[in-house]
Amino acid sequence: MRISGGTVYDPANGTDGVVKEICISDGRIVPEVQGGPSIDASGMVVFPGGVDIHTHVAGAALNFARGLTPENYRKAIPFLHASGRRAGLGGITPTTFATGYLYAGMGWTTVNEAAVPILSARHTHEELRDTPVVDKATLVLMANNEIVLDLLEAGELERAQHVVAWLIWAAKAYGVKAVNPGGVAAWKWGKNANKLSEPIDGYSRVTPAKIIASLAGIVDALRLPHPLHIHGNCLGVPGNISTTLETLRVLEGRRAHLAHLQFHAYGGESWGTMRSEAPALAEHFNNHPTFTCDAGAILFGDAMTITADGPWQHLLHQLTGRKWGNVDVENETGCGIVPYVYKGSNLVNAVQWAAGLELLLLIKDPWRVFLTTDHPNGAGFWRYPELVRLLVSAEHRRECLKKLPGKTLRRTVLADLDREYSLSEVAIVTSAGPARALGLSSKGHLGIGADADLAIYKRGPDGVSFGQPRYVIKAGEVVVDDGELRATSEGRQFVVQPSYDPGIEEYLRPLFQKVYTMSFDNYPVELDRIARPDVRPCD
Amino acid sequence: MLTLTLKEQPNVPLEAEALSPDLTAGLSPEAVRALPVYLGKRQLRVADFFDVDGTPGEELQIQGAADRVKWMGRGMTRGRLTIVGNAGMHLGAYMKGGSIEVSGNVSDWLGAEMSGGSIRVRGNAGGQVGAAYRGSLVGMRDGMILIDGSAGLEVGMRMRRGLIAVGGSVRDFAGLEMKGGTLVLRGGAELRTGAWMSRGTIISIPPIRLLPTFSYTSADNPTFLRLWARHLSTHGFVIPYEDREGTYQRYLGDASVPGKGEIFVFRPRAG
Amino acid sequence: MGGKVTCTLGEVKNRADFIIYWGGNPAECHPRHFTKYTLTQKGKFVPEGRKGRTMVLVDIRETPSAKAADIFLQIKPGKDFEVLGILRALVKEQRIDAKAVAETGLGLEQFQDLVGRMKRARFGVIFFGMGLSMTRGKHMNSAAVLTLTAELNAFTKFVCMPMRGHGNVTGSDMVLRWTTGFPFGVNLSRGYPRFNPGEFSTVDLIVRGDNDAALILGADPGATMPQPGIDHLARIPTIVLDPKVTHTSRLARVHITTAATGISAPGTAYRMDEIPLPLRPALKSPYPTDEEVIRRIHAAVKAKPAWTPASSPARAIA
Repeated sequence: MRISGGTVYDPANGTDGVVKEICISDGRIVPEVQGGPSIDASGMVVFPGGVDIHTHVAGAALNFARGLTPENYRKAIPFLHASGRRAGLGGITPTTFATGYLYAGMGWTTVNEAAVPILSARHTHEELRDTPVVDKATLVLMANNEIVLDLLEAGELERAQHVVAWLIWAAKAYGVKAVNPGGVAAWKWGKNANKLSEPIDGYSRVTPAKIIASLAGIVDALRLPHPLHIHGNCLGVPGNISTTLETLRVLEGRRAHLAHLQFHAYGGESWGTMRSEAPALAEHFNNHPTFTCDAGAILFGDAMTITADGPWQHLLHQLTGRKWGNVDVENETGCGIVPYVYKGSNLVNAVQWAAGLELLLLIKDPWRVFLTTDHPNGAGFWRYPELVRLLVSAEHRRECLKKLPGKTLRRTVLADLDREYSLSEVAIVTSAGPARALGLSSKGHLGIGADADLAIYKRGPDGVSFGQPRYVIKAGEVVVDDGELRATSEGRQFVVQPSYDPGIEEYLRPLFQKVYTMSFDNYPVELDRIARPDVRPCD
Repeated sequence: MLTLTLKEQPNVPLEAEALSPDLTAGLSPEAVRALPVYLGKRQLRVADFFDVDGTPGEELQIQGAADRVKWMGRGMTRGRLTIVGNAGMHLGAYMKGGSIEVSGNVSDWLGAEMSGGSIRVRGNAGGQVGAAYRGSLVGMRDGMILIDGSAGLEVGMRMRRGLIAVGGSVRDFAGLEMKGGTLVLRGGAELRTGAWMSRGTIISIPPIRLLPTFSYTSADNPTFLRLWARHLSTHGFVIPYEDREGTYQRYLGDASVPGKGEIFVFRPRAG
Repeated sequence: MGGKVTCTLGEVKNRADFIIYWGGNPAECHPRHFTKYTLTQKGKFVPEGRKGRTMVLVDIRETPSAKAADIFLQIKPGKDFEVLGILRALVKEQRIDAKAVAETGLGLEQFQDLVGRMKRARFGVIFFGMGLSMTRGKHMNSAAVLTLTAELNAFTKFVCMPMRGHGNVTGSDMVLRWTTGFPFGVNLSRGYPRFNPGEFSTVDLIVRGDNDAALILGADPGATMPQPGIDHLARIPTIVLDPKVTHTSRLARVHITTAATGISAPGTAYRMDEIPLPLRPALKSPYPTDEEVIRRIHAAVKAKPAWTPASSPARAIA
């Protein structure tokens, strides 16, 4: 296939809005191609396919949320069964087939499922198998794994590293996720862990700081392509900026990825005095180049809070009175679910809305801050184009600000920010940057050898029509043509294979049989459960 | 007025949300004949099941044993839908205005999640009258439903406002999780009336079994009852309210929640 | 509507010091439950094992499970909903009249004692069975347990879990949820998934005769459903896929023998706590798997010409 006449944005390769031809063969970008179909992209912009570095779309937590809220589906977009297309439902927790179609429909071609317990990883992989088109990666939850915590308590860091490596491969994951380190373990007794330097409940040496530092070190020692991906302690709480900065100090000098940073950027002492501390956080970020983050911005409207942060979810339930779902996963982690609606009339929500945008605008290097809404916590992922619009137009931001409570201006700085994203910067925060941070060298760019994942947008008087790509190409095949789904291929799934001492199984087996409730042989996910696995050995 | 006469019984339920005054108002019989209806997985035409006669207007009349015809009057905002015969599930669901009148019986989910308008059923109704659909936090938001006959389970479940009055008896869970509004049970109820209610008013004329989490507070004839009685009598619905007839025992509950709902049970004066 | 607060079974094994079985008879229906997950196991935080746990059995009659119970609460049949409502009220320190509770078969002191024990537990769990979910009140009985559990979390750690039965019902719940959004009773006739128990759930559908064909896989409605439903299945084209010839097979038009899943056919089963377990078949079978049969039926249907509306409407069933 040949795409000619389009204005190409390929920031990873230094192409910033240049009209050039893209040639595709066998699912990859090639220097030239003979024959095959041709797409005339004159007047259109060509982007590498979107990469969502942090989303929750498959697995036990998502499925729990689906079951908890059947009423949401009554107002969701229905996906009708047709030849080559499965039935499904959109809404804030789309069904699996709909998830693939929705991402593809807006030009996103790679998604990273950000929170997978090992015990239910098999379930996650089954759902991902039923998520068409997009390529996938997963992050396995590790920061409240009691076998690992017990090893840290005993000072056995080396053994902990082998266990973590074994667990990553057992889960067939791509990276390591830390959520509320220590807090989810404490939640097993109804408690939390709010102070980074205090031992967590039941331990005398293990503090959240120790978990964070140890896991970050282990991830680096294992040479995983993506650094430790962390949802810090005290998410969502007014004044949590101090915890966030302390977390960054614990990680100083190391590479790390901070998830949905907006939820960790609050000042104030209470809900009544809450304000955005995004400027302070952005400044620290700008001065510490080893970190990347994703915004976790919120948009007004329906959301579904789904996190492994059990205590936070219980608090949200008590504050809002909305339905509450909770499942504690033995020895590993947990999840909490509360449906939520962000309202422009609510001052706290207005501050949250501004804070996400402030982070995206004040963190100077677009290669280090990525566009996400922590779907479905902040907003549905299909609304990313709304965020893009807010980033490219200061006037649009100011119009939106006018509709918010007056006090918002005193709690935020968004009104003073003039920066407008260039198209190149949009391509970086939606594709090139997350691909690089994930270590997916064939994604997020249109250089020779890259996977042929592209989104081609029309350009109108109001700018580029993000959200309605004219063409979406995945692995060299047109999957979306003028809003119509044309083909639904099966994506592939990235899995890392870290090294570990095989003898670690002798340690794990008896321990596992003692504290778990299944046979040790049933615990690891078999590789043939993964649809089209792309295994990356790490050495 | 347009009249649709059922000429062919569907062998599986027929979904006919097109049969609503909003959608048929101003349409000729020919245009109405072409409207879509759904028989299981097949999309067919109104004309496949109904003879259509009359003149376009705000009134739509359905004639026949339409027990299996679902979703008539869905979301209607105006006009008058009359059913001479029976109607299937979801009649008047999401209704916002206008009126529905049924000479026979209706099935489950009558007026579910409606927010305005009025419904009158001369026969019996099924369950979930004026209720919230599964998982939804709120049922009927306003409007009026009058049923001369009996009704089934979960009448008025999670209703927030409006009036439901039933002449015959109802089954378990009338007023379940009620948040407001008024439910009048002229024929009494089976078990668990008002379960988990937080606000709202239930009035029962016959004695009913109350949950142990409801407590008796007083006996009198509150003024608002007098007003409801007058309002209902204009529709041919009679409930006692004079002192000489008797008093209403007032119960407060449901302490499970804890709620501030009221249940008034009529006690006729002896002698 | 309060939500669902639960855990995987290992949490119960490692932490639970207060276990309530409500409306179930695990000794006979889930025979390894006590020994594998809940009572006799030495848990990580309950090293004393059985001695560190208190088990309460709530049922309308004394079953063999009562032998394992520390406390047996016999309540009157059909009163579970009332009992749970009283517990919800007492947990929130609402006043309940002692006379009012008499109808439940329990005295107020028994209620107060139970509430006290629940609040003092370090980790409480309620396992609820079909004695609750299938008796008068049905889904509201289950909702009552779920809501009480959620409310107890204001005081201590408390979870609940349904005692699932009938093979891999949890698995079908999971798969239906992720592919359609709903756990059961899913209607796809309008081209997209819709859910409404009572309208689209199996027993209601076949009793009303709302379907004109049936494909039955891994179930035997001919043995368990109300007679009008069975009669309807006998009248319409019914197809059965099962390792055995069942009651339903005998009234069906077609019976296809398939390999027994988990014994001769591979797959994944989901445990009652929704944890997936791989099934490794131990034996070979001469029969095709359910999956093979469904795929072949699907391919044959796809090969048929696309249906177009007939000019005459469908005929009524006799």
